[in-house]
Amino acid sequence: MSSRLNTFPHSRLQTWTRILLAGPGAMVVALTLLAGMPLWLPGGAAGIDNLVFPLIFAPLIWAGLFFHACLDRSLVRVAVIAGALFLVHGALVASSLMGKTAATTERVR
Amino acid sequence: MIHLKKDETKAMVAVHGWSGILLGLLLYAVVLTGTAAVFAHEIGAWSAGHVATQSTFEKPIDAQVRRLDAMTPPEFREALSLFEIGDHGLGAFFHRDELDAKGMPIERGIYYQLDNAGQLRATVRGTSEEIFGPRNDDALSSFLVDTHVRLHVPDPWGLLLTGILGLAMLVAAISGLLIHRHLFKDIFTLRRQAKPVLVDRDKHSVASTWSLPFAFILAFTGSFFSFFGTVGVPVVAMAAFGGDVEALSEAVFGNPGKPDPRPVAIGNLDRVTADAIRRTGEEPTFIAIENFGRADAKITTFHNPRASDIEPVALLYDGATATFVRAKPTVGAEPSVGGTLAGIMGPLHFGNFAGFLSKAIWFGLGFAMCYVTYTGMRLWVVRRKDETRSLAWLERTLTVVGFGLPFGLATAAAAFLVTMPLGTAVYWTTAAFLIASAMAVLAGVFAPSNEFLSRLLKGATGIVMIGLPLLRLFAAQGPGWGEAMAVGQPIIPALDLAFVAAGIGLVRASWAGARVRRRTMPVGGTTSAA
Repeated sequence: MSSRLNTFPHSRLQTWTRILLAGPGAMVVALTLLAGMPLWLPGGAAGIDNLVFPLIFAPLIWAGLFFHACLDRSLVRVAVIAGALFLVHGALVASSLMGKTAATTERVR
Repeated sequence: MIHLKKDETKAMVAVHGWSGILLGLLLYAVVLTGTAAVFAHEIGAWSAGHVATQSTFEKPIDAQVRRLDAMTPPEFREALSLFEIGDHGLGAFFHRDELDAKGMPIERGIYYQLDNAGQLRATVRGTSEEIFGPRNDDALSSFLVDTHVRLHVPDPWGLLLTGILGLAMLVAAISGLLIHRHLFKDIFTLRRQAKPVLVDRDKHSVASTWSLPFAFILAFTGSFFSFFGTVGVPVVAMAAFGGDVEALSEAVFGNPGKPDPRPVAIGNLDRVTADAIRRTGEEPTFIAIENFGRADAKITTFHNPRASDIEPVALLYDGATATFVRAKPTVGAEPSVGGTLAGIMGPLHFGNFAGFLSKAIWFGLGFAMCYVTYTGMRLWVVRRKDETRSLAWLERTLTVVGFGLPFGLATAAAAFLVTMPLGTAVYWTTAAFLIASAMAVLAGVFAPSNEFLSRLLKGATGIVMIGLPLLRLFAAQGPGWGEAMAVGQPIIPALDLAFVAAGIGLVRASWAGARVRRRTMPVGGTTSAA
């Protein structure tokens, strides 16, 4: 597969980097988006859109990341976009979890 | 039309081929059983010989539920689910919500199974996961659905596996679209006089192009269902509710209101079902009662989508007074974009939004997807067979799965019809499938050629299918065509005819293959393996 994917002018290392970004990379970033999106999406009329949209669109988000990693000629751009999405949403989730932990500790006191 | 550069198209061709070849065999099993499962309800009625004409919710259920309520220990009277089972019988699950060892919400209680005359046939205690397994009278349809949903792999791994297969199908569908340089031309291109490989490629291309939107919808909704409970809900609950899955469930599916725990007897359920049928035009598929026996009890009736609509319908009733409160979305307390999208995922996947017509279309397109998956893998193998001789085993495996799976499913149906009257159908439906699959594998190992193997499996499947109506009539003591038509079950003769027609078609295809082979065989010699 690597030889067939190696159609852009680049090295074996780049090919494997692309495969890692399209495979496990896309999966990890999609999961992070799934966790982070409910924290910034609007709730909508019933107050559930922020919870439901990530659940519904998770397969498409993954597919978007997968095809971007396969088709973008610039691996740097793929890594930067995936990394940015991962960092922003990871930070949102971490901040939310730390906030909840602090609130719980406060209540216990 | 999307025009990719040459090297990008090559990459997409590789992605398309590998996504199919790595998971194609399992995907074929999931799509084939899913195609059959479109008619799971009808197959259940055909195989078990259902002759009751009236839905259980069109008959009085209130007195039955009160009788069951009196038999139920108080700790399980927190909530009640009502639904149809078997031949318009009533399933009633009195339960309470609990958290399991991992902190995940579960329901524990008592599941009463009543026949269509209101007689209590079975009582099962346990959690919802433990008690909602296949029954003797629905073992065949349950087997089909379970194979499609989780390939009989235990949860959560089975769901994760089918979810990954859904993603692979999504990748194959999107990459398939991207590699078509002349999409509209390809839809109508069938070069019948060309080389066999080109003819096969054209057929694959035409079938896949026509069913592309359907493949996309199925893959998208299928992976949504597989990942929803296994990955999606825990992850979203972790981020938005600190891991409290019950709080997420309450936010999305709950009916908000002020708690009122005063004990008040539940209102008249017959009044609720009659009103719900009057408002929606059809009987409920499911009734959920929360806070059963309290002043704040709420009854929700769920219905299939109305004619000319795709979103399922839910009605909310006050539990204590049995009065109508409002129509509500199936997801969320108020109508919303997210609720509507979540609500239509089911009808889009199951094809049950326009009765028999939409189911027939979904069945046909599902069958086209099976064809596309199988021929796609065959094209991949045939194109490389001359370069890599070791791929012959893969071609043999393709035939074993491609034709052995229908043989296994037909044999499972035959075993169900024989063993249902003996009360052992749950065991033998699965066992017969495994035995038939083992026979197909053995045939794959010992068959002298791939062509012979293909003919053998087609012929065997055809013979079993032709025998199914006879087994239904004589072994399972099912209703004859006259009786079935008289009670409004035309699906029974319709499926009999469909099985016989498909069986004859398969036997003829097997026979024709043998004749062609004899004609092309040189005098005193043998042809090479196909």
